[in-house]
Amino acid sequence: MVIRSLVSVVDDDESVRESLPDLVREFGFAAQAFSSAEEFLASDSVGQTGCLILDIAMPGMSGPDLQRELKLRRQDIPVIFITAHGDEAVRPRVLAEGAVACLFKPFSDTALLGALNVAFRAR
Amino acid sequence: MDAQFEQPAEEIKRLQRCMNDLVSLLALPAIWSGGDPSQIIRTLLDVLLGMLRLDFIYVRLKDPVGATPVEMVRATPSCKLPAQSQEIGETLNRLLGDDPQKWPPLVRNSIGDGDISIVPLWLGLQGEIGIIVAGSHRADFPGQTERLLLSVAANQAAIGLQEARLLNEQKRVAGELDQRVAQRTAELAAANEELKREIAERTLVEERLRQEERELNRSEARKAAILNSALDCIVTIDHEGCITEFNPAAERTFGYRRGEVMGRQLADVIIPPTFRERHRRGLAHYFATGEAPVMGRRIEMTALRADGSEFPVELAITRIPSDGPPSFTGYLRDITERKQSEEKLRRNEAYLAEAQKLSLTGSFGWDVSADEHFWSDETFRIFAYDVSTKVTLQMILERVHPEDVALVRQAIVLAADGKDLDYECRLVMPDGSVKHLHIVAHGIRAPDGGLEYIGAVQDVTERRRSEQVLSKVRSELAHVTRVTSLGALTASIAHEVNQPLSGIITNASTCLRMLAADPPNVEGARETARRTIRDGNRASDVITRLRALFGKKGTTTEAVDLNEATREVIALSSGDLQRTRVILRTDLADDLPTVLGDRVQLQQVILNLLRNASDAMNGIDDRPRQLVIRTERDEGDHARLTVQDSGVGLDPQSMDRLFEAFYTTKSNGMGIGLSVSRSIIESHHGRLWAAPNDGPGASFSFSIPRGPERISGAHSLGPNWQPTVNDSAQIMRNP
Repeated sequence: MVIRSLVSVVDDDESVRESLPDLVREFGFAAQAFSSAEEFLASDSVGQTGCLILDIAMPGMSGPDLQRELKLRRQDIPVIFITAHGDEAVRPRVLAEGAVACLFKPFSDTALLGALNVAFRAR
Repeated sequence: MDAQFEQPAEEIKRLQRCMNDLVSLLALPAIWSGGDPSQIIRTLLDVLLGMLRLDFIYVRLKDPVGATPVEMVRATPSCKLPAQSQEIGETLNRLLGDDPQKWPPLVRNSIGDGDISIVPLWLGLQGEIGIIVAGSHRADFPGQTERLLLSVAANQAAIGLQEARLLNEQKRVAGELDQRVAQRTAELAAANEELKREIAERTLVEERLRQEERELNRSEARKAAILNSALDCIVTIDHEGCITEFNPAAERTFGYRRGEVMGRQLADVIIPPTFRERHRRGLAHYFATGEAPVMGRRIEMTALRADGSEFPVELAITRIPSDGPPSFTGYLRDITERKQSEEKLRRNEAYLAEAQKLSLTGSFGWDVSADEHFWSDETFRIFAYDVSTKVTLQMILERVHPEDVALVRQAIVLAADGKDLDYECRLVMPDGSVKHLHIVAHGIRAPDGGLEYIGAVQDVTERRRSEQVLSKVRSELAHVTRVTSLGALTASIAHEVNQPLSGIITNASTCLRMLAADPPNVEGARETARRTIRDGNRASDVITRLRALFGKKGTTTEAVDLNEATREVIALSSGDLQRTRVILRTDLADDLPTVLGDRVQLQQVILNLLRNASDAMNGIDDRPRQLVIRTERDEGDHARLTVQDSGVGLDPQSMDRLFEAFYTTKSNGMGIGLSVSRSIIESHHGRLWAAPNDGPGASFSFSIPRGPERISGAHSLGPNWQPTVNDSAQIMRNP
């Protein structure tokens, strides 16, 4: 049985949690959704996740906070940031921190697929 | 005769009989003693008729004073003579003539049936008493003895009658005397009574005189007491104008002692020099013509005190009713204080009228049951009616704006219950212009149950116009600040829009990929298409909200659910709040009253408070950036909204300036947010305030009254004008 690479989606927006995993699965990956950084950290998916699609602005722990936390835990998971705030200033900052990509909502399926491919290639 | 002597025995018998008859006749006076003439005649006739065997005997008496003669007759039943003595008398007069003294001593004539001998005999020597007439059918009548007996009887009768007459006369005289004595006695008694009455009357008169004297004394004493105790000055003068009385009140008022002024000319004492000539002319005119316009009524004039000061007095002059030269009493009263009061009252009235004119406020009284209206001049001016018009409700209603007539009628209905009135309405003036009035009235229940309103009517047209302009300016300013603050929210707005757009694109992409698969995943495609539509609607809602906030439109009024409005604002801001890592908690009351107002403006205020709260927590890292939005029912049917932050808190020094325009503590703020917010809340008849928290941070709250229930007749509703008609019924009016 082929073990499909697991993509975890962390976003407080429910419609993202609904729609994004389906698209990711269409790309051929396995997908899981979490409504907050805390929920993700508490799950047993952290070690199995091949790529993290992470919302930047969330109540409580933000996307970048989670990225830092994973680094501290030596969990080197490639991260694709997504954000609905069209703030261009945020992109270079997160990329400098080691993110694979930073996509502004709304983004196209090809942009996401490209980012995923980069992530898994990097791995 | 001869034959008689021929038979002596017969003759003796005849003579004896004659003697007996004589004795009988002579005895008659004894029977008659004390008798009256008619009794004498009756016995005489009866005796003679029987004694002389006569057929009739008749007597006629002359009254000594010449009255009608008394007649009497006796006749035998066989004698066919007339029954009445008067008829006999007339028959005799006819036979013998009218004068009995000329009758012959014997007449033989036929009376009745057959001849009869008639013998008249005088009563008295000359027949002055009367006459006796004896008659018989016998041819030999009268015989010698019969004539003798008749003569004796006539003499006896004459004497008897004479005596009876005398006796009668004596009795009459005695009676007359008695009567005169009695009359005199009565007269004396009457005179005595009269005398007694006169004496009694005189006593009464004397008593009355004494009484009058006592009363006069009392009256004098009373008069003196009145003069002395009267509060009014009482001054009397004689016909020459000299003072004859000057009471203590006059002494006090004018400053003279009575002794100083008695006998002096009134004019020189209390009348100011400028009026003296007029006084003298008036007095002279009165004596010349009897006309005195000042008499018998109250007049006001100026009087003079001993110290030379002048003061106003009220004066009444009356003439003292008496014989002799006229004298006058003057009643004077110092009316300085009254004059001052009058002047003050007049001034107050003038001030009031001027104040009413300046403030465009008229006053009115309204007797509800009698429908009588009492308007001040300004009220007449406001309604543009002539002040002489008699006001009726109909006149008032004629001026009221057609759209407000129902409102005014409602107020009139409320007035019937005595409720206080406070409402606004519009008038349409004859020139077509519109006036806005604010009417406030208080009902007063009279003791008799009648109801009267006292109130004020203010022309607030200018204010309404200013408010309209102000409202427009505020609306424009609100728009500017709204756009400004939304500009600052761009990131948040982008987040709000991008979120659903992201969902749409992701779902659409997934859908396409599912359909392109082999075999196509139709079920999955349907699900993703459904999500696409949902997210599309979500995006559409965001756009609608944004358009409402960005759109520039005039003030509108609607029922606003503050909870719902708050949720929408939170939806728009949530992205921004997340970005600034603010933890938002909402605590919205279920029983919140619906308020009436401009939804967008109210949302602007909420958004403003949210942003301020968020900004206040911007630099806070040592504690959670906690923000609470709370709604609750407030006192007096108000809805209250509070935004509580845990930020830097308020500087007590600048608390007062928080709501001033262009005051800001933020480097990028304009400082008009709170100022505009407060003006919006105040235009909703609410208030906006800030308070420090017990812990860190501050709370900003506003409270606005519950929206009123519309009443029939109210047309559109506006937040700028919210008049109330008493506590329970509220009536809204658009300016």
